[in-house]
Amino acid sequence: MGTIELKNVTKSFGPVAVIKGVSLTAEEGEFVVFVGPSGCGKSTLLRLIAGLEETSGGSIHIDGKDVTELDPNHRGLSMVFQSYALYPHMTVYGNIAFALKTAGVAKLEIDRKVRAAAETLKLTPYLDRKPKDLSGGQRQRVAIGRAIVRQPKGFLFDEPLSNLDAALRTQTRIEIANLHKELGATMVYVTHDQIEAMTLADKIVVLNDGEVMQIGSPKELYYAPKNTFVAQFIGSPKMNLLPRASYGGGAMHYQDGVKIDIGHMDGTPSIVGVRPEDISLCPLGEAELSASVTHNEFHGADNNVFVSVPGIGSLNVRANGKLDLQNGQPVGLVLDKSQLHYFDENGVRT
Amino acid sequence: MSPKTENRILATPIVLFLLVMLGFPAVLDILYSFSEVSFENLRSPTLNGGKNFIKVVNDPEFWAASWFSLKFGVATALSECILGLVLAVYLAPIIRKNNWMIAVLIMPMIIAPAMMGLMYRLVLHEFVGSLPHYLYLWLGDSPAFLSRENVFLTVFTIETLQWTPFAFLLIYMAYEAIPSEMREAASVDGTRPWRMFWFIEVPQMAPTLAVAFFIRFIDGFRVFDNIFVLTGAGAGGSTTSLSIYIYLSFFRSGDIGKALAASVILFCVAFVILFFAGRLLRRDRA
Repeated sequence: MGTIELKNVTKSFGPVAVIKGVSLTAEEGEFVVFVGPSGCGKSTLLRLIAGLEETSGGSIHIDGKDVTELDPNHRGLSMVFQSYALYPHMTVYGNIAFALKTAGVAKLEIDRKVRAAAETLKLTPYLDRKPKDLSGGQRQRVAIGRAIVRQPKGFLFDEPLSNLDAALRTQTRIEIANLHKELGATMVYVTHDQIEAMTLADKIVVLNDGEVMQIGSPKELYYAPKNTFVAQFIGSPKMNLLPRASYGGGAMHYQDGVKIDIGHMDGTPSIVGVRPEDISLCPLGEAELSASVTHNEFHGADNNVFVSVPGIGSLNVRANGKLDLQNGQPVGLVLDKSQLHYFDENGVRT
Repeated sequence: MSPKTENRILATPIVLFLLVMLGFPAVLDILYSFSEVSFENLRSPTLNGGKNFIKVVNDPEFWAASWFSLKFGVATALSECILGLVLAVYLAPIIRKNNWMIAVLIMPMIIAPAMMGLMYRLVLHEFVGSLPHYLYLWLGDSPAFLSRENVFLTVFTIETLQWTPFAFLLIYMAYEAIPSEMREAASVDGTRPWRMFWFIEVPQMAPTLAVAFFIRFIDGFRVFDNIFVLTGAGAGGSTTSLSIYIYLSFFRSGDIGKALAASVILFCVAFVILFFAGRLLRRDRA
């Protein structure tokens, strides 16, 4: 069971640089999630680790061994694809057993391992079926079964849940988390869904435009985003970024004389970020900022309220779902000062 | 107007067309095959029971022709499919980048088979052919391509050269239709290229391979024009296919009843084969 290490890996397709120097380490048994908007290069990065694409520069190491030049079949990894890529002409049993047969494992041993994997994944009743007779969730589990049966050095998942419906996605997410605990194997997982990333990962790698924006635990990314990109990408609804303002006298100064007291700061913050749950609605008399409701989405437990603040603009506030809010209604806002995020003019955390 | 009558009216032209174009000759064919008939009494054949069929079954040339057609059909279909498969897999990476190559590769298909026969008749002719000429010039000897011993190999080669592109085209399409993720999944799982070919790629191309083989077998089995032009059923009748046998019985010997009896037998056998092949393909899909 292995560590996967990337050292300054680059990848270009012709003149287009897709991966611009990525270095990271997946420690043994760690669950690493690559997350980022579409086109950020996260799938390409995974394919580079698998060996399905050749690197343009840098090196990849598995268990300390340089595998940069090795073909995928010599890297000892397993991969679960978004389309599952099951072999349509084989039964579920055949699909799971194929890699073991390739490796020349004894028949009895294969049978034992396949049945054990099927048991874990609740596939035992379907072993004799062909993939086309299975539901999406079952196919997905066959793909996972095919990966775990080999006991690889690491698992690679390429958006494995995006073809499932919402309910099944949540369930499979939990199953994957349990599987990770059970196997204790290194897993690298690609997704564009930040909730999947937050719930599954030990370590999240946020990518944008082929570059690593931040690497850290879900809590680090949530509570201490290194830059405005990560701040807005992690968390739903996303963090409010207030417009650029000048800092002076312990306060941020906005248009029309509106100011927010933030106390003494070491740097010179330009952008203030605040998550919707760190703003609360209050009576106008106690308010730090006065605003009016422009739009309200009722989510059940919460109201997702959009308010307009003079001098600052539109803000997103998470309020109690029991509140009855009308469009145009004036409201007061209070910010939780301990939870504010400060960024300099380049969007880097100060 | 009820939908039923409407359907009947709409279907009438095609049913009439089929009856006239296929039904009439078929009925005539069956009628003549049971009759004493020649060019003199075409309009007033006299029924003679199954005498024509007995004549055909007792004719060693009929069996020789059947054997030739079967051998030729199986051998050419097999070699065309194998060659087509090898070409498709080997050339796929090149063709992916240069699509126009397909046009060049399938060129033999656009030549009429009779022209192909004519062409090789010139090329292989013992006295004026270019191939024997250069073989004599360079090696001092040349095989007699159209002799009794070599003629099967010669017509087999010509047929294979002309129709391998057809098998290639079908198989190449099937090969390209295999999802790339499946190959990638297999290769990440440690599958070596050779094993990938036999256990992942070939099984997925199997239906296409079967169809290609079947089409080429039918075409080879009923072969007529290129062989007839090239060798005219020679040498010594050794390249008489069933189609040529029927043609010769009909026009050369004027034994119309016998020729048509043979054609009816051919039709029945073909129908049985088609029936089972269809069932096999359907079961394959289910």
